[in-house]
Amino acid sequence: MNGSQSAGPYRGLKSALDGSLKLLRRFGLPERLLAVLLLAALVDFAANTIVFNRANSFELRRDDAERIAENLVLVSRALEQTPAQDRPAVAHSLSSQRFALDWSMPQSNRHGSVSLSKLRAQVIDIEPRLATADLELHLEGLPSGGNIGGSMRLSDRSLLNFRTHARSAWKLTAGRIAGLVLPTLLLVTFAWAFLRATLRPLRSLIKAAHRLGSGPPVPVLERGPDEMRELIRALNSMQERVHQSLVERTNTMIAIGHDLKTPLARMMLRIDDPAIDPAVREGLSHDLEEMRLLIGSIQAYVESGGTDIPAERIDIAIMAETLVDTAADQGADARFSGSPGVEVMARAVSIRRALANLIDNALHYAGSVSVAVRAVGDQAEILVEDEGPGIPEDRLGDALVPFFRMDTARARDTAGMGLGLPIVDRSVKLEGGTLDLRNRAGGGLAVTIRLPLAPR
Amino acid sequence: MPEPETPIFSLADTMAAPRILLVEDDGPLRTLTARALRQSGFTVLTAATGAEMWVTLREGPVSLVILDIMLPGTSGLELFRRLRRENDVPVIFVSARGSEEDRVLGLELGADDYLAKPFSTRELAARVSAVLRRGGVDPASEATNPAAPPADTVRFDGWSVSMARRELHSPSGAMVDLTGAEFDLLATFLNNPQRVLGRERLIELSRTRLADSSDRSIDVLVSRLRRKLQAVGSETPIVTVRGVGYMFKAEVARA
Repeated sequence: MNGSQSAGPYRGLKSALDGSLKLLRRFGLPERLLAVLLLAALVDFAANTIVFNRANSFELRRDDAERIAENLVLVSRALEQTPAQDRPAVAHSLSSQRFALDWSMPQSNRHGSVSLSKLRAQVIDIEPRLATADLELHLEGLPSGGNIGGSMRLSDRSLLNFRTHARSAWKLTAGRIAGLVLPTLLLVTFAWAFLRATLRPLRSLIKAAHRLGSGPPVPVLERGPDEMRELIRALNSMQERVHQSLVERTNTMIAIGHDLKTPLARMMLRIDDPAIDPAVREGLSHDLEEMRLLIGSIQAYVESGGTDIPAERIDIAIMAETLVDTAADQGADARFSGSPGVEVMARAVSIRRALANLIDNALHYAGSVSVAVRAVGDQAEILVEDEGPGIPEDRLGDALVPFFRMDTARARDTAGMGLGLPIVDRSVKLEGGTLDLRNRAGGGLAVTIRLPLAPR
Repeated sequence: MPEPETPIFSLADTMAAPRILLVEDDGPLRTLTARALRQSGFTVLTAATGAEMWVTLREGPVSLVILDIMLPGTSGLELFRRLRRENDVPVIFVSARGSEEDRVLGLELGADDYLAKPFSTRELAARVSAVLRRGGVDPASEATNPAAPPADTVRFDGWSVSMARRELHSPSGAMVDLTGAEFDLLATFLNNPQRVLGRERLIELSRTRLADSSDRSIDVLVSRLRRKLQAVGSETPIVTVRGVGYMFKAEVARA
């Protein structure tokens, strides 16, 4: 009961806070910028008001105030008895380091920016005669050290200016400096935070743009100002469209593949007709095999994107060794190194096809292959190396793009659709592993697959 | 239809010339497949639909059914479930989909093999022979009663072998790949445990896959298989009998 009672107002406060935050989030870029400027101006205004208020109620210690009053009375009397042309010199000679004086003709009246009304009342309280002399007290500008300045009129309306140093005025000076610096600091801080907050969604947007088309769409969270949200929305729907067209493309190919399978099956049986010339049969048989491989590679590519089949425990070293042995039994130059007992969790058919693709690729391009499997830390490392031409450095990234063919010139005798490495890449990623392609220093391609080891 | 009209076949006939029932809806493909099987020495009956399949099955026993799982009307999988309830005849699934799910589902339901379209005559004949051999028609097999389902899972020393899937699993449960020849060699050993087998005899028993093997390649095969069966910290179940051949010394259990 108690809990729900205390939660009530808290929830109300929270929802109000959420509401205003939401309103702030709805602001576009110009609105946000304006809000920051307004806030800075408001702080500036508030700081000035505080400084003025404090100056108005500023008082000196009684002896300091008495000193100012006495000095002013004495100096004003002395100057009034001096002819006008000598007054500047006399005023100068009466000046001390702590109490500077100068005299000017009536027309010029100096006024500081920050007047000290309470201090004036204090001084007049000590020397009431100064009230009739139009006494004015103010804080000097910051460049001249923030001293107390002032002026009074002599009996002939000419003006006596003075400046005195008061130690207790430093607090006022500090306040004025803060009043100047604080709004600037605030402006900078807010502008910084605002820009960062605005650009943060941009970073996830950039990441998403890099990923675009290379996997299922991962929608970017809509956040930031309106313009950013709109951009994110546009990118998200573009992601969806790109994905849809990729899905449609693969579906079309799968459908064509399916429909071709039955006629292809008939043809494969028909070529065994004894009436067919053996040379023709051999050629046809080769063509049919190539068509079968093409259709098979599309199917493999689609399946490597994920299936309902659960992963199982596999000795990946033995799997690789078996593939190498099979190739070697067929006369290929294939070698294996490693020991049994490297176990991973994976889909057997898909990962076996991935390894077979790498071995076939190496044998196709280089004529030989060497496969090594070992456990490194908590990962299984499968290294497939060849001594062929490798892949040009600037094309390494393209090698994993589906339907991208490396060797446009040699494409004619290559059975495949540029899906070999993309199938490997997808199969390995499906099992939470990584695929790394690089050219070997001595020539040839080195492909490294890393898969997490199965728990013991 | 050039099919023989004889209505009833005895089991002895079945053993002599295996009768194969081909269920395929595509007419030309059905004719072509039947012709290819006949050329390989099998007797072939055909059916275009599930209904025709039932009629043919009632007419007489068959040794093997080749079933397209994409038939019009009842799906091949459903047909297979009903067939399994009544009959233990070996079945090879054929599919144009060729997806891994189909294969796994088919084998899980108890199909004896799975063949993806398109296939060559040679492939078809090899698969049919292999299934017939496993299904008890093979004289080397211990299963002598063809009506009883063939023992699918064989165990030794914590290892298990699935005959239908042609898969080997280590004591830790990991799948251990074998080449076709290695699997055939292992199957031969498992059928003849605790018996010394000479090289000649091994080649003979392992049949087709080792048909053109030499003595030396048998030794290579045995050493590969031995290496794969050598679980960490245990000794190999295959021992060399000097000057004679090899012996599988582990205890073999069929389930």
